[in-house]
Amino acid sequence: MSKNDQLSELLSAWEETYKKGQLTLWIFLSLKDGKKYVDEIKSFVEEQSNHTMTCESQSLYRNLRKYQHVGVVDFETGEGNKGPERKYYFLTGLGLELLNSFIERNINLFFSKQIKNLIISED
Amino acid sequence: MKTITKNLMAFSIGLIVLTIAFRFSLSSMLQNRLFGSVWIIAAIYGILIFIIGWIFGKKDKLYLPLYDIGFRFHLATYIICNLIAEVWYRIGLQTEYENVRTIHLTAIFWGIGLLIHFIIYLFTRKNAIKGIKKSEIFE
Repeated sequence: MSKNDQLSELLSAWEETYKKGQLTLWIFLSLKDGKKYVDEIKSFVEEQSNHTMTCESQSLYRNLRKYQHVGVVDFETGEGNKGPERKYYFLTGLGLELLNSFIERNINLFFSKQIKNLIISED
Repeated sequence: MKTITKNLMAFSIGLIVLTIAFRFSLSSMLQNRLFGSVWIIAAIYGILIFIIGWIFGKKDKLYLPLYDIGFRFHLATYIICNLIAEVWYRIGLQTEYENVRTIHLTAIFWGIGLLIHFIIYLFTRKNAIKGIKKSEIFE
């Protein structure tokens, strides 16, 4: 196996594990951006992640049901484009607080000068 | 939290139909003194219950992974099976080879198993938020 092939395989394996835990963050970020129905959440996640994240609608519905059940997400029905009514999901007060706490504890540390320098440095 | 879900209802209806069919077949076989073949019908009944429980339980979990699905399905099975057995006896559909003592002993021993399941359910509750295991909410 060439070095490039090995690098590519290792990267894929790492990304696969890394992305599994990322979906909730991306869904919450898309809802922080504003109320959305499932297809809009899907588009937001895929576009904003430069298509490194992909998600199936069924998987999104399943996750949104869980979030709604625990009270961090809710929905209201609104008109669809010439079709049936759509569910527009949004973050509840608890959901927004949860996202902000998560970002503060787990994401903001990547913005410290030392870590930022390590990330942009190629050595 | 919704206790009686659509899938639990579908499972219960299937179970009622299967249990009545089983009771009817069992009594018919005993009446005809086919004692050696009774286990076949019992095995088929057991396998079919397991299959419909598996299918509807899995569907229920896919919809919303509540940690108590197993206990709710077990409780429904206990109530339906024992109730039908009791009613079968009370309305006189049993044969001379079936007695109410067997029905009651089954209910008691199975009830002990159900109680143990309930205790496990209470312990699992500590690791859940609004009925969903903490490890499954954001997975």
